[in-house]
Amino acid sequence: MIAQPQRVNLWKATPKIALTIAILLVVAGIVIVFLAARSYSAQKLREVDVEGQILGSTVSAALTFNDRTAEQEYVNALQANPEVLNAAVYTASGALFAGYARSPDAPSPDRLLIRGKMVQGERITVVTPVMQDGAAIGSVYLQVLTEPPGRRYVRYSVVALLTTMAAVVVGVLGVAQSALTRTNAALETQSQELADINRTLLKQIGEREKAEAALRQAQKMEAIGHLTGGVAHDFNNLLQIILSSLSMLRRRGGGWQLAPQAARDFRNLVDAAVSGADRAAALTRQLLAFARRQPLEPTRIDVNKLVSGMSELLRRTLGEMVGIETVLAGGLWPTFADANQLESAILNLAVNARDAMPDGGKLTIETANTHLDDTYVRTIEDVEPGQYVMVAVTDTGTGMTKDVLASAFEPFFTTKDVGHGTGLGLSQVYGFVKQSGGHIKIYSELGAGTTVKLYLPRLSAPDGEASEEPKDVGLPRGSSAESILVVEDEDQVRDFTVTMLRELGYSVVEAANGQVALRMLDADPAIRLLFTDVGLPGGLNGRQLADEALKRQPRLKVLFTSGYTHNAIVHGGRLDAGVALIGKPFTYATLAQKIRQVLSGERE
Amino acid sequence: MPLASKPLLRVSALVLLALSTAIDASRADGPGALALAVKATYLYKFQPFITWPGNAPASPGDPFRLCIVGTDPFGETIDRAVAGQHAGAQAIVVVRLTAVSPADHCQVRYLGTGDAATARRWETAIAGQPELTVTDGIAEDSAKGVINFVVSGNRVRFEIDEAAASRAGLVISSKLLSLAVSVRPNQ
Repeated sequence: MIAQPQRVNLWKATPKIALTIAILLVVAGIVIVFLAARSYSAQKLREVDVEGQILGSTVSAALTFNDRTAEQEYVNALQANPEVLNAAVYTASGALFAGYARSPDAPSPDRLLIRGKMVQGERITVVTPVMQDGAAIGSVYLQVLTEPPGRRYVRYSVVALLTTMAAVVVGVLGVAQSALTRTNAALETQSQELADINRTLLKQIGEREKAEAALRQAQKMEAIGHLTGGVAHDFNNLLQIILSSLSMLRRRGGGWQLAPQAARDFRNLVDAAVSGADRAAALTRQLLAFARRQPLEPTRIDVNKLVSGMSELLRRTLGEMVGIETVLAGGLWPTFADANQLESAILNLAVNARDAMPDGGKLTIETANTHLDDTYVRTIEDVEPGQYVMVAVTDTGTGMTKDVLASAFEPFFTTKDVGHGTGLGLSQVYGFVKQSGGHIKIYSELGAGTTVKLYLPRLSAPDGEASEEPKDVGLPRGSSAESILVVEDEDQVRDFTVTMLRELGYSVVEAANGQVALRMLDADPAIRLLFTDVGLPGGLNGRQLADEALKRQPRLKVLFTSGYTHNAIVHGGRLDAGVALIGKPFTYATLAQKIRQVLSGERE
Repeated sequence: MPLASKPLLRVSALVLLALSTAIDASRADGPGALALAVKATYLYKFQPFITWPGNAPASPGDPFRLCIVGTDPFGETIDRAVAGQHAGAQAIVVVRLTAVSPADHCQVRYLGTGDAATARRWETAIAGQPELTVTDGIAEDSAKGVINFVVSGNRVRFEIDEAAASRAGLVISSKLLSLAVSVRPNQ
């Protein structure tokens, strides 16, 4: 295509070239006619000259022997040639010896006064000496018509016709070429447009393929989430039973009259059981986190404090080979996120960093206040411009290739050996940051190391509210005037919950599904709090039940509980404003505090 | 006056015409002299139209010999006519002979006799010689030279005997043949 401009120029120039050729042809035709006429004239002259010489040679004897009769016969013989106007023989002295004239009006001259050859208009006159033994014994006079005008015009017409035809042919070719060139240009434009459309189409197809891949990925994650969430939910119900039983066992056991040794053993065994159940609960939380179904419990976080608090944990995790450096910005803004998840995220990044530095190295954790501006944000999806708290985790490890970098956030993607990584580390970090309304960015260079930057939105709300962990004061207790409706489809869980609430002093009614619960609410307007599981059978889920109940009793308080959060109550990983939730499994203490919190109208 | 003189003029013209006719008839000399002069000229003018065999003439320095045998009817006329004339590079000389001999080395030989027998005898004497024999007014074919002068329509013309020319080894130009009154073709 690069050579095309020249070709295109040649095509474009073709009509001009054709016109030039046509003009040249006409000029050439005129020149040919002119030259042909001249050449014809010259040839005719030569012919007449030769004819004169022949005649001269023929008549020499008759002239020699003064045979006028014979001579007259010779010259008369020439009248057979229609071009001969005059033919005459003169003696050496120039006197007319014998002559023939086609027209009586133009006879041969009586005396010969001219010599040589001459062309006068359409007549050629030649005077040739008659030689005998090297001596001139007389002269031959010949006057010939060069060419009849008619014939000459016919000749000119033929040449003119041929020239015109050639010119017309060339002209027509030129015009056709010009039209062809225009058509070609139009075709070129069309094909260009088609190519553009094709490119756009290919791009769209590519984008669609990407989107489909992303959708498939999302669907896969959704499926895994459902699976994991389901398992975790069942586990949580079981753990709830175990933990509730243990906590009641522990409380009631204090009242049993046991030998001191037996009492000690009893306490140790219960503690061990509680500890195991707690660990099991932590595992289910992790499962939910992997599935990104873990409801975030965002609180006001001082990231500097959090990082400092992790130093011991990090040191132990990374080992002696890796040095740790923390660069904490002064006056760091607070952020609003789930502290446990942030800790998990930093730990995950630290573990990845350690694995990238098998021969040791340095891990740097840096915090800073940053501003993501419009320009930067425009290139990224789902990020709002504004102020962010940045946490950067940098290692001096092996770094990542571009391919690895592109897949780094994908769930189950790992470069570690089998059994050494789940491939969920960075995925969890990513999920957490995105759920927290933040942004994550990886910078990596092979052989130089990797920096992962987490951007969490700045919390601009004033200090105070729920800023500190609740003080471990005596558990808030209820009164029999405070009536609570417990809605739970799992009988055992419902039984333990009811038992715990009654122990806390509340008056409790219970229902196994939404319809029953609504009837109870109607029957007893004194009920102050609806404590319901989110997942309920029988057509009404927890959220719908709460909505219906609030319609009937707008002053009713609602506390949800769930093994995992569901879209019904969680939007974007956060609880709806005004929705209180206690995750399963919950302890006696957390339940006491949460119930009191909700009843007294406090918000998280 | 003019009216009276017209018949007189007419009579005078008639008289003159009659007189001249009478002179023409009585004096054969007049027209005969002119014919002789023409013949004398012809004798040397033939040579450009005749090709002699390669061995004659012997050398370029030799003159072109125009021989007159027997009666010389031309006298000085031919001498004057030939004076200064050349046949090619050769000067033409008039040679008058009384007898005929092959050793005469004539290119043109005028047989000055009106007698056919004499003419034939002479021709026999030089038979085979490359000579252009010219007879004058011989009627008998067998006695005619290569060229035989005749007077036709008051004009001197000639007959050509190609057979005789061939015997003498001569080639005669077609131009000359075309001027002949009659040509006796080569057998």
